[in-house]
Amino acid sequence: MTSDKTNRLGLSNLGLGVGLRTKHYAHLMKNEPVVDWFEIISENYMNNFGYARHVLEHIVSIRPVVMHGVSMSIGSTDPLNLEYLKQLKELADLVKPVWISDHLCWTGVAHLNTHDLLPLPLTLESLKHVTERVNRVQDILKRPLILENPSTYMEFQDSTLHEWEFLTELVNKTGCGLLLDVNNVFVSGFNHNFDPEHYIRNIPHKAVVQMHIAGPTDCDTYLLDTHDQPVPTQVWKLYRLAQQLTGGVSTLLEWDANIPEYEELVAEVNKAKQVLLGDFPDVPVYRSPLADGVSNPVDHQMQTVHE
Amino acid sequence: MSELANIQRWLTSIIIKPGKLGEKIRLADQFYQLNNEKVIRPSLRSSAGEKIGIYARGYVLRLMDCMTAEYPALHHLLGEELFGTFAKAYLVKKPAASPDLYDLGKNFPDFLKAAQPENREIHNTDPSMFDLPVELAKLERAISEVSRSKGLEGMEENKSIENQMLYLFGTVSFHASPCLQLLQLQFPLVDFVQAVQQGSEAQVPDEKESFIVVSRKNYIVHVHELEQWQWHFLTQFKATGNYLESAEFTAQQCDLEKSSLMADMMLWIPVAISIGYIYADSEI
Repeated sequence: MTSDKTNRLGLSNLGLGVGLRTKHYAHLMKNEPVVDWFEIISENYMNNFGYARHVLEHIVSIRPVVMHGVSMSIGSTDPLNLEYLKQLKELADLVKPVWISDHLCWTGVAHLNTHDLLPLPLTLESLKHVTERVNRVQDILKRPLILENPSTYMEFQDSTLHEWEFLTELVNKTGCGLLLDVNNVFVSGFNHNFDPEHYIRNIPHKAVVQMHIAGPTDCDTYLLDTHDQPVPTQVWKLYRLAQQLTGGVSTLLEWDANIPEYEELVAEVNKAKQVLLGDFPDVPVYRSPLADGVSNPVDHQMQTVHE
Repeated sequence: MSELANIQRWLTSIIIKPGKLGEKIRLADQFYQLNNEKVIRPSLRSSAGEKIGIYARGYVLRLMDCMTAEYPALHHLLGEELFGTFAKAYLVKKPAASPDLYDLGKNFPDFLKAAQPENREIHNTDPSMFDLPVELAKLERAISEVSRSKGLEGMEENKSIENQMLYLFGTVSFHASPCLQLLQLQFPLVDFVQAVQQGSEAQVPDEKESFIVVSRKNYIVHVHELEQWQWHFLTQFKATGNYLESAEFTAQQCDLEKSSLMADMMLWIPVAISIGYIYADSEI
């Protein structure tokens, strides 16, 4: 392992982590978290001064926390939402996250928000646009922004760059970091007929700060990023390759619908230890004949704690 | 407008607008002068339209899940189909604009109210058909807001006054909790909402005027029914911050003797403090 490989913008390998979710609040307030670190959905805590913030303050006091956003809309042609960035920074002042991440996507335009992670045409025009905005956000947040590759279900005819090329250029031009979601590479690879291994071999490995793993759904003609299943074997294999190429980076299991009990969640992320030794769980991709799956489910953010 | 901006407006309009996918794509193509098949790359498995459809379908399903999560009792009352009809119509009328998902359902009670037929009296309709869903939505929205807004937690609590009557002598300064919400409803809905939350059998209540308080203390949301005088007092006290003036107003509103009201309040104020409706400053 060379130091060049493990640059990670100087950010440390936090180990194995899980997302902080409402379902596990009561458990986490009474028990040791067991995992090495947590990722929060930033928007779930930005205007939330209730129990969720209380739990967050507890978690921050005992484990490293990373802030992961879904609404920065870095690729949108709307002006940057400065109020959103102000609130994000205020939350960061409280949480003191090890890093702040979001997605290479846009969520809406004309002041509308689809709450989805929409794909960009991968063109030089988009690259210039996103580069300018990443630089501005980094100036505001006074730290490198970490960007995640989204799952995508469409490609644009005008795209002239592959996603790994786009990300490489973006890293070179802005100094941002990457959150490599190996499940998203798997999903997009199937949907757009590219080799996910080739993608992973061709991103700038020293810029990868974090990885996501998750379980998608096979909807017959496409894969959907449902975050509601165990991680399948194919994703574990890509994960091991990515860990070897990057020299080892922080790993986070995403599970946002049909969320299991905390022990099961921890057991799932802990499979990564065996995977790194070459022992892969035999898990097929979940198949659903129904077209009712939701990619990037967000309703887990809406739970209320009552008396 | 740049090419990128035009494509983003084109796709957003297809995703957010109601209607059949093919027709939405056709209209967007026409308006933005694009051809979907020349914008989106088809694959062996899916056409450009089918790929757009994944996002259009996901938009509705994702936000419907959020509406159901914020309004579980209303969802239970109306059932999947009717709730879905209203929630989808609402999302068309008020598409999401804020990055905060909690803003999504903010205007749903008003939307339901506005959706009521104007001539309902003529048909002599059962009020539960129209008013009950609106009131339930109001209550669930209040619960949602109270669970997230700034509350009493973190404030220095003056515990010494809980069982004393110092407020009567002006030696302690009282305030309404910053997250306190008060609702006057035509249906007693507290039990219904709590039954749905707990997954037990929820009985639809008969019409009966109901005075509700939603508050939070130690991060726990409380939803209670109040006596009429308690509700009027808290409503006035929240607005004015003046304890004696609020008591006077309440006596008038409820046609009570002020002395009798003050006697009841002596017993009730410690309860109101303990549940977090009001709080006492540590210093006056």
